Amino acid sequence: MGKRDVQIIFLLYFFLLGVFLIIMERRGSAVNTPASRPVTRRSKSYGRSCVEAPSYFWQTPGHLAVLKIPNSRGTAKSQTITNKVDPEHIALLVKNEWKLSYITPLHHFRHTRLKSYSKHLSAFIVAEKQQGVAVEVGLEAGFKVTFSAVLGLAENDEDAETVFIQIQSKPVFAAVADAPKVVWRGWLTCVNGDLEYLRSLPPDFVSLPLFCTSGPESLTTLVKSWFERAFDCNFGCLALNSTTLNWLTALWTGCHPTCNIRHLKLAWSLPTQPPLDVSYTVNPQDAWELWNSIHPEESTDDRIDIQEVQSFINGLEAHFFRHFKIFLSAGTLVKVSTALGSAHVDGKIKIGNSDYITTLLTLLTECALLKMPA
Amino acid sequence: MDAQVRSVLRRVIQRIPNKNIENLLKKWNCLSADQLCALDYTRPKWMIVEQVTSFCEENRLNLKHITNLEMIYHIENPDKGVWHACQLTEAQDDAVGVDLTQFKEQFKAHLHGVVRHISIKIKKHEDEAIWIRIAWGDNFSKPNHLKPTYVVHHLHTSYVFISNLMAKHKIFLCQALVIATKHGSIKDGHLSTRSLTAMRELLLRRYQQVTYPAMFTVTKHLFAGLFTDPCIGKEHSEHEEMRYQMSCEAFGHGPTPKLETAVYRLETRYRGNGNHTLSDREEFFRGVVRFSSSSLLDSLRHCVASGMAEGPVTPLLSAITQRGRNYFVITDKGPGVSSQASAQRA
Repeated sequence: MGKRDVQIIFLLYFFLLGVFLIIMERRGSAVNTPASRPVTRRSKSYGRSCVEAPSYFWQTPGHLAVLKIPNSRGTAKSQTITNKVDPEHIALLVKNEWKLSYITPLHHFRHTRLKSYSKHLSAFIVAEKQQGVAVEVGLEAGFKVTFSAVLGLAENDEDAETVFIQIQSKPVFAAVADAPKVVWRGWLTCVNGDLEYLRSLPPDFVSLPLFCTSGPESLTTLVKSWFERAFDCNFGCLALNSTTLNWLTALWTGCHPTCNIRHLKLAWSLPTQPPLDVSYTVNPQDAWELWNSIHPEESTDDRIDIQEVQSFINGLEAHFFRHFKIFLSAGTLVKVSTALGSAHVDGKIKIGNSDYITTLLTLLTECALLKMPA
Repeated sequence: MDAQVRSVLRRVIQRIPNKNIENLLKKWNCLSADQLCALDYTRPKWMIVEQVTSFCEENRLNLKHITNLEMIYHIENPDKGVWHACQLTEAQDDAVGVDLTQFKEQFKAHLHGVVRHISIKIKKHEDEAIWIRIAWGDNFSKPNHLKPTYVVHHLHTSYVFISNLMAKHKIFLCQALVIATKHGSIKDGHLSTRSLTAMRELLLRRYQQVTYPAMFTVTKHLFAGLFTDPCIGKEHSEHEEMRYQMSCEAFGHGPTPKLETAVYRLETRYRGNGNHTLSDREEFFRGVVRFSSSSLLDSLRHCVASGMAEGPVTPLLSAITQRGRNYFVITDKGPGVSSQASAQRA
């Protein structure tokens, strides 16, 4: 082999190396074209399968649409929701107290793949629960996860359908015939979400911003971490501020003519030492008459203004003040409850009556969208 | 010992934390010194219960002894359960002359006369309180020792404190008290709390009402730290002093009786701000206000002292301490009166 041959070989080698490097670089430079990057799904061989997506998104997509805090909203509308939604699903929603969180949009979530999500999530939970346990002494043998779609809650064209998740488990020593017990429930929903915002999301994203859970905190954390890994999203606690609680007070009181709210109960907490809890339960008819004097029922305008809501709350606080000389505004409004439901400032709600569920969920969806980091 | 006696004994022992059982058993004085030494209080509760039960069987103790133990437990721990206050009225001329023996005789005689099966135990405590334990039966069944009523009364005061009384027995107990104390009638005191100590302090005025100047200097230091600028502190000090004085006048200074709740039933006309259509209404704006806290009077006092409540303290709140009650029905004095609301008896 002469000198020339060696040169040719070297040249060939460098050429191939160069080609190889270019190919590698092309793979790595997909940051600028996020939507076109396919998601790789890998199945690990030791039986633990989960969907892994490379994460490019450090920003929530759709951040360019600005969400405005509304100053007015429509009055609470009653609708027999059981016409649109399966009554069994509605019964599940009305039963429990739900803890609220918000979720950023889900990447590549498909309503058609719910069965496979069920399998993946249950395998994930079992694997996580067995971590660090040397001998299998777990009290719960297996977890059965069911994802189901609750059709009919979505209101406008851009709302995604609600997804309901149920986790059942069967204790190890239970008899074969025993039905597995439901240990955790959760649902993701979007009702009357802001149209501009939803339309501004890239096509692979589904927005179901409101997440309601009921069950042990350990399972909630596991479900959240599975979602975070599978769909590249983030969760956050959705606390309800006093404005939201004020809206609910007014909206629910306004429903009294069509649906007896039984009582209007407001709870404040004053920062004294020790803290003082004040609960004011107003007769529903009297509360409604006060609301009606501020926002007459016969008015053609179907919308309620924030000033009217503020007036209503001020009226109640003023009546209280005339008797007790205590400034309720020195404390925080902590809980509102009527027969239609209750809402707590820590982000806990209870749905009492399914007829007004749409109004409540619209308000909460809006809170979730506003709370998400831009 | 029969089954009922054993279950009463078991219930008493199970309620007490292990470290307090020894003192209680010593006070009871029904177990011998050897038996007391033999008990190991580090064992699980069920073992202690078993041991004590077997010692009681050995000593052939009966229902009387066990109910005595239960009474001692309640006297030592008066702040369990819910207590209600009642007030005796229309004292007859010889009411002041009633002594303990007379009271006991009359009380027992009346109850034995009206209720066929009943078990009454009366004990006088060092602090002049008479403790009464009543296990109620009826014409057909023996007294139920698992649900006894407890009554506490200080002779020559007009208050009676009752815990765990069923509605159907109320009339008998009230009659007996009225007769035994030589009063004309008894009425509901509208005060209920978990702590008997708090109730006694409030009604028998055992806690300190105001002499504010001495206490103010202490609290002044508490507030002083809040303001970094001495000029601001100086401006505020006069207002603080006034607020503090008002709070002490209404709620006393120093530790207050530990009430937990106060309930006001409002039946007054609407008094919101500037809402004319509603203010002209004849009907009442009904509602129920409930204040609750781990120590209600401390919270209310802090409320006034810090400015969250405007002074002078409204009579609705100061009535808690002045009148010694925590349930009120507030009505307007009459039609046409626009600004005053008065606290009236329910």
